[in-house]
Amino acid sequence: MANNSETPLLDQLEEGRWPSFVKEIKQAAQKKPMAEDLLRQLELSYKEKIGHWKHGGIVGVKGYGGGVIGRYSDRPDLFPNVQAFHTLRVNHPTGWFYKTDALRTLCDIWDKHGSGLTNLHGSTGDAILLGTTTEHLQPCFDDLSNAGFDLGGSGSALRTPSACVGPGRCEWACIDSLDICNSLTLEFQDEIHRPMFPYKFKIKISACANDCVAAIARADLTVIGTWKGNIRIDQKEVAAYADSGLDIQKEVCNLCPTHCMTWNGKELKIYDEDCTRCMHCINLMPKALRQGEEKGATILIGAKAPIVEGALLSWVIVPFMKMEPPYEELKDLIIKIQDWWSENARSRERLGELIKRMSMRKFLRAVGLPPVPQMIKAPRTNPYVFFWPEEINRPEGKEEK
Amino acid sequence: MKDDLKERIVELFRQKSKGEKHFFYIRDVVKWLPDEDRRMVQDAVKELLDEEILKYWSTGSTTYLVLAEHYPKE
Repeated sequence: MANNSETPLLDQLEEGRWPSFVKEIKQAAQKKPMAEDLLRQLELSYKEKIGHWKHGGIVGVKGYGGGVIGRYSDRPDLFPNVQAFHTLRVNHPTGWFYKTDALRTLCDIWDKHGSGLTNLHGSTGDAILLGTTTEHLQPCFDDLSNAGFDLGGSGSALRTPSACVGPGRCEWACIDSLDICNSLTLEFQDEIHRPMFPYKFKIKISACANDCVAAIARADLTVIGTWKGNIRIDQKEVAAYADSGLDIQKEVCNLCPTHCMTWNGKELKIYDEDCTRCMHCINLMPKALRQGEEKGATILIGAKAPIVEGALLSWVIVPFMKMEPPYEELKDLIIKIQDWWSENARSRERLGELIKRMSMRKFLRAVGLPPVPQMIKAPRTNPYVFFWPEEINRPEGKEEK
Repeated sequence: MKDDLKERIVELFRQKSKGEKHFFYIRDVVKWLPDEDRRMVQDAVKELLDEEILKYWSTGSTTYLVLAEHYPKE
């Protein structure tokens, strides 16, 4: 096992009161030579200030084009046990609901076939199993499959859809994010396992505007639960919040992004026509305020982190969609969107970048959605609401600029 | 029809792989066959992958296609 003298730089990361991944890997190294070499290679990287991993290559198991991320050491002479150190992405149970026996099964399989090191959960949402050899990939997958697990997405494919815990635990859930996520995962199996897209495509579902999976910032296709109609107010409970010390004017009304509420010390009034359903007031006074009765989802498009181009936030394309199984309207829309993207995108161009390049107007026409006021981010800045050239009667000789 | 398309795809892969470049995006393959339907091309490529004439190669974020004979050894 690695000791302090072998990894002096990493040892510093064990200091302090917070959890340490070095401590965890050292624990794994007592059983697994792979974990020991991992530590030693990492120490070398800290010392030389250079990474020693080679990425890329193998993609999966028989019939799959994703779910495995190939990783090799560029110093197998020094660290033979991490010569191959592949990652497996395992599709997580929707909403990350496990029983402990499922977790034990997962860990037993990984102890048998891999380094024993896990990342539960990666930012994709998957259960990430870190470090195995090429020979163990297929047997590991077979064991996972027999235990009811499947691999997640990687590469130019639909990534594992993810959702917040939704109605499983949360009173604010406007939609059954768990069921939607499960239904989309089953519907788009081929798109997850057989990469045929220009680049990655992510679907994330939050059951309310609190957006606990940060779908609005991360997903190419974002589903966020919302409601129609007025926020339901229990004035007695509002008064109880005031009596308990909540400064309703300062904390609720003044911080409302659209200033759509007033408080006279006795009664709270909400001008629902100005409400953007951000959840701020409901979060502060959950006993007093409840969402409107008609529930559904807002569909947004095009978020991404900065890689080829800068970061983008999602953009509303459908202000309100009813969400009832089997979610045909949503699935049809996703297929149209993915078709347009596949037809038009450059290689490694995310959907949001394509819309930015070709215009929202063309996107909306291609997927058959009408432009609506809720799409507007700022007045007079959204070119897709302009008329199409053929709709304009121009004087002869005047062409569109 | 599909067998014919598969043969053309393999032939195109062989032609395009003569130089140093062996890895291609699915979009490249679709562009090589401008008169063919994209989905038909993708289905044919999937069959070639099943037959292990083509192979996937991925960085983890991006996936490429490569003729099996050009697939790098570990």
